[in-house]
Amino acid sequence: MAVPISQMYTVATYVLSQKLKGVKRYPLVLMLEPLFRCNLACAGCGKIQYPDHVLDKRLTPEQCWAAVEECGAPMVSIPGGEPLIHPEIAQIIQGLVDRKKYIYLCTNAILLERKLDEYKPSKYLTFSVHMDGLKDEHDLAVCRDGVYDVAVKAIKAAVKRGHRVTTNTTLFDDANPERVRKFFDEMMALGVEGMTISPGYSYQKAPDQQHFLKRARTQELFSKILTRPKSGWQFNQSPLFLDFLMGRREYQCTPWGNPTYNVFGWQKPCYLLQEGYTKTFRELMELTEWENYGTGRNEKCADCMVHCGYEASAVEDTFSTISGFARTAKLTLSPTSR
Amino acid sequence: MDCGERPLEMTDTKNHTAGITGSLEGRVFTPGSIKEAAEAIELAFDYRGDVTVMLRSGESVAGYIFNRQEAGSDPYLELFPEGRPDPRCILYRDIVTIAFTGEDTANGKSWESWVSKKESERRAEAEKSEAVARTKGYL
Repeated sequence: MAVPISQMYTVATYVLSQKLKGVKRYPLVLMLEPLFRCNLACAGCGKIQYPDHVLDKRLTPEQCWAAVEECGAPMVSIPGGEPLIHPEIAQIIQGLVDRKKYIYLCTNAILLERKLDEYKPSKYLTFSVHMDGLKDEHDLAVCRDGVYDVAVKAIKAAVKRGHRVTTNTTLFDDANPERVRKFFDEMMALGVEGMTISPGYSYQKAPDQQHFLKRARTQELFSKILTRPKSGWQFNQSPLFLDFLMGRREYQCTPWGNPTYNVFGWQKPCYLLQEGYTKTFRELMELTEWENYGTGRNEKCADCMVHCGYEASAVEDTFSTISGFARTAKLTLSPTSR
Repeated sequence: MDCGERPLEMTDTKNHTAGITGSLEGRVFTPGSIKEAAEAIELAFDYRGDVTVMLRSGESVAGYIFNRQEAGSDPYLELFPEGRPDPRCILYRDIVTIAFTGEDTANGKSWESWVSKKESERRAEAEKSEAVARTKGYL
């Protein structure tokens, strides 16, 4: 089982409590971006195109903890930029562990092995290592040779020390399903707890504008990859989201499920679109015109099937429908029955 | 004006490129009305480089526009001036010109051009990027 029982229980009780309170829109995962600076310059990334003085800005530990408390989500994902560049990231993480938040620290792992001494293994902390495929595909995607080997070495070191480690993979339209399946085998052989996968999104500011997956192509690709899954594969994400990627379930986007906080404030409306910022989480939730976003509602959302919009929809399905709950239970207990 | 004073209306804009394609680097806009100022500010909000805003007071402010609030009685933008930790709030009605003075950091780095480059060029570019990260102590 990829996700520990304690984490499942925390998320389940959180979602159910929101439902009992009658809360229509609630956050599931806070996307906390403590900086935009990165030590890679991937062609598919739209997060790093800023002037130097903006890239040099960082959230303080106090700002990070305040955002986490204000948001209230049980899980915190820390992307960036490269979080391990942040000189106070270990302090930020410890503060979140103390608050009993389940943290996914997303890293390209270039600095991971060197910085492992700064972290104590915890059920609350997971290193989510960016891996976009086997060596050739990954090094091409991150525009630098040798990064795959560095990341693999860091994953082994982190696993050996008893850390929770997952991989996060963004797939582009040139992905080869057989190579991706082989990649899954290799990642699981490294001893990671599980993998997360998502199609890319066409960032308005990403250099790579023509390369992202269209919806039908996404479903075709993920069907080829995920049909007849191997017994050793574990995915650290909702099984219904994987169904959605394969075209077996239809969802509308839940942009408030993964709210984003960074040096500019609370980002409207989601992790991927930048329509403006608010100073408080409450303003974000109350002032954003959510009905303007999602499939069929906004041209920018037309082809998006990314986890930050649709995984929360899948979780909502699990807790709102009998069929969703039954399907989740079945795939959790028997992942190869897909 | 305090940037914290936010009207309760929304200003989400579905398309803030206003039909202009290509980089705006080097362009200067001199709006003749609040409406034209709003259009220029949408372009500046969407721009991934610094701009220089000339104010009616004669002051010139250079920085990165990260937010704008068009709704309400007195629209304003928010900008991070280079070298200052806190954002600054500027009213639309105080703006005389907006110049796209900083490098457009999102321009000219397409995936296609990356893939189509000769291996030697790609390697040189990757090495340059790596050297910059190393110099800054990020590797």
